[in-house]
Amino acid sequence: MKHLKRTAVFLMAAAMALTVTACGNSGSGGGSSDGKLTMQIWDTAQRDAMQSLADAYHEENPDVTIEVQVTSWDEYWTKLEAAAGSGNLPDIFWMHTNQILLYADNDMLADVTDLYDDDTYSHYSDISIANTMGSDGRMYGVPKDKDTICLVYNKEMFDQAGVSYPDETWTWDDLTEASQKIYDATGKYGYMAYCDEQLGYWNFVYQNGGYILNDDKTAAGFDQQATIDAMKFYIGLQQNDWCPDQTYFAETAPGDAFFSGQGAMYMEGDWTLMDKMKNYPEMQGKWDVAVLPKCPSPASGDGRATISNGLCYATSAKNQDNETVMNFLKWLGSEEAQKLQSSYGTAISAYEGCEDEWVAAFDQFDYKLNVQACIDEFDYAVQSVNDATRPVWKSKVNDEMLKIYGGQVSVDEGLKNCNDIINQAIAEG
Amino acid sequence: MRKALSPAARKEQHWAWLMVAPTIIGLLVLNYYPLIQTFILSFSKTKTFGASTFNGINNYIEMFQSPEFWKATWNTILFCILTVPVGIILALLVAILLNAKVKFKSGFRAIYFLPMVCAPAAIAMVWRWMFNGEYGIINTVLGTKISWLTDSKTAIVACAIVAIWSSIGYDAVLLLSGLQNISKSYYEAARIDGASRVKQFFSITLPMISPTLFVTLIMRLMSSLKVYDLIYMMIDQSNPVLPDVQSLMYLFYREAFVAGNKGYASAIVIWTIFLIGIVTVIQFIGQKKWVNYDV
Repeated sequence: MKHLKRTAVFLMAAAMALTVTACGNSGSGGGSSDGKLTMQIWDTAQRDAMQSLADAYHEENPDVTIEVQVTSWDEYWTKLEAAAGSGNLPDIFWMHTNQILLYADNDMLADVTDLYDDDTYSHYSDISIANTMGSDGRMYGVPKDKDTICLVYNKEMFDQAGVSYPDETWTWDDLTEASQKIYDATGKYGYMAYCDEQLGYWNFVYQNGGYILNDDKTAAGFDQQATIDAMKFYIGLQQNDWCPDQTYFAETAPGDAFFSGQGAMYMEGDWTLMDKMKNYPEMQGKWDVAVLPKCPSPASGDGRATISNGLCYATSAKNQDNETVMNFLKWLGSEEAQKLQSSYGTAISAYEGCEDEWVAAFDQFDYKLNVQACIDEFDYAVQSVNDATRPVWKSKVNDEMLKIYGGQVSVDEGLKNCNDIINQAIAEG
Repeated sequence: MRKALSPAARKEQHWAWLMVAPTIIGLLVLNYYPLIQTFILSFSKTKTFGASTFNGINNYIEMFQSPEFWKATWNTILFCILTVPVGIILALLVAILLNAKVKFKSGFRAIYFLPMVCAPAAIAMVWRWMFNGEYGIINTVLGTKISWLTDSKTAIVACAIVAIWSSIGYDAVLLLSGLQNISKSYYEAARIDGASRVKQFFSITLPMISPTLFVTLIMRLMSSLKVYDLIYMMIDQSNPVLPDVQSLMYLFYREAFVAGNKGYASAIVIWTIFLIGIVTVIQFIGQKKWVNYDV
């Protein structure tokens, strides 16, 4: 019996010790004085690029080690919000335009407007800089990358249908005509237009001279005629035989449909092209990319637009005076680091002049993909839509869009609802 | 009358407390504290990063006025109706077969238990492909062209089928343990009296296994009312039929973590707890009619 008691006491002590160490671990998560930094990202495809940045920095600064951690997109934001609420943000993390205003306006992020003594920021485009800004116009992240949306097409299907490949002369009419011809000739889908904002209808809205949010972000634009017309055009594409309907896309992502030879065209972000080349080696040479078709008769403007988003590297407001973190951030925005990132061919670095590195990354393949098209599109890029209430309305607008696609509400009514949802979110702040 | 404890017995009692302390502390910290927090949160208007203000019963008013919420409640109940009875009956059938004298008995037991060991995400992934309306094997075998997962009528049925499939093994093992506790002598006596197999089942097996059946039923109902992961894996948020399939817990997830509306989401949780409470109370009252504890 005595022996048993002693064992019990020992076990209790051990258990308590474990709890204590567990607390100790979580407590040191935010600390970075020991030269160990964590970098939280959400894109597995970019892990190698980030790791190379970490390694390169470690080489120059042997006393700083950076651990790259990848979390899936959905989990990333759940985790980050909880971490921000409890004051345990990772040392360095990616920030997305969807969320940056929310974090910046709630004083969660360090102000990096005055990070550099020199003119480093002048090497970034206005859109890149704007993508890092809080509502107060200060910068809360160092620009990481910039992107455009491009049209991906299946060359074999175009050849079979005898249609010439998409190029910069293409308009929406060419898009629909080619789709019809391909469908008639091959029985495969033409342009696969699915319910998506950045990779879908936003581009069409801005090409037509409409907008989702007005310039000072005080009102939604779903009540603007130019927006409504573009939305009707885009949503209406699914009425054609050559376009699958939304229930199809609920089961099969357009990218999967495209690379399994079910459809001839869809819109894709430039940052995934490298992955597509690597993941579908048997498809190399059978597909290519082009600039987005333009609106033939825009309500205003020249009919050209592509949504351009950009991520940035951010850190917690607590690290405002943390030299280790700030120096690393500073280095991440340098030409050296940005060129290194571009050379991996996943994300195009935001630093101007790194485009060639990105294009050159595709030289590793026998077939030369026309990725230059993605670069050319920066001439008419539109900043990705965001405001401080975007996290509130994003999913609600998406639900409403699905109702439109599902026929539960008419297009007019649905768009009016979208408008109300955004305006209400803005009003409630 | 309560007898005063001897000093030795009291000392023993201290030890008893100490021994269960880790579990109790764990329960308090990991289960009861969050439960209380959720309850408080359900009366709050939450903002991002953990800030919240007292909001009275507004979350509940908003919830009870929301058609989406009632739809989710109905979906959850429908899911229970579709999965629990069929699941339990099939599990009982499997348990009886596994209890019989068949070859490769342990092999079969392993096979039936296998779904329990698989990761739910992997299960959902495979079933999604099987249910795929365009290329799925289920349509190919049946010769049908049903969009299982994207038709509002069939989506919940498809989810229910997967739920039953993945729960049978576990339930069957529980019931099997109940079956093996039944003494063989009952059956011998019944055979001598000339009772048929069917008669034996209803007069011996069913009454004798009813306590185990009851526990299985309660557990299965609770987990069905809390269903989330399976539907989340099977039905994407871009799927137009989501409103016709989403359970209360799925709605909770979307409100709390997608829309960032944690106060309202907490009200949904409290409602779900209430619902489970009612169902369980009804079951405990109902069990007096059919559960047999006299062995």
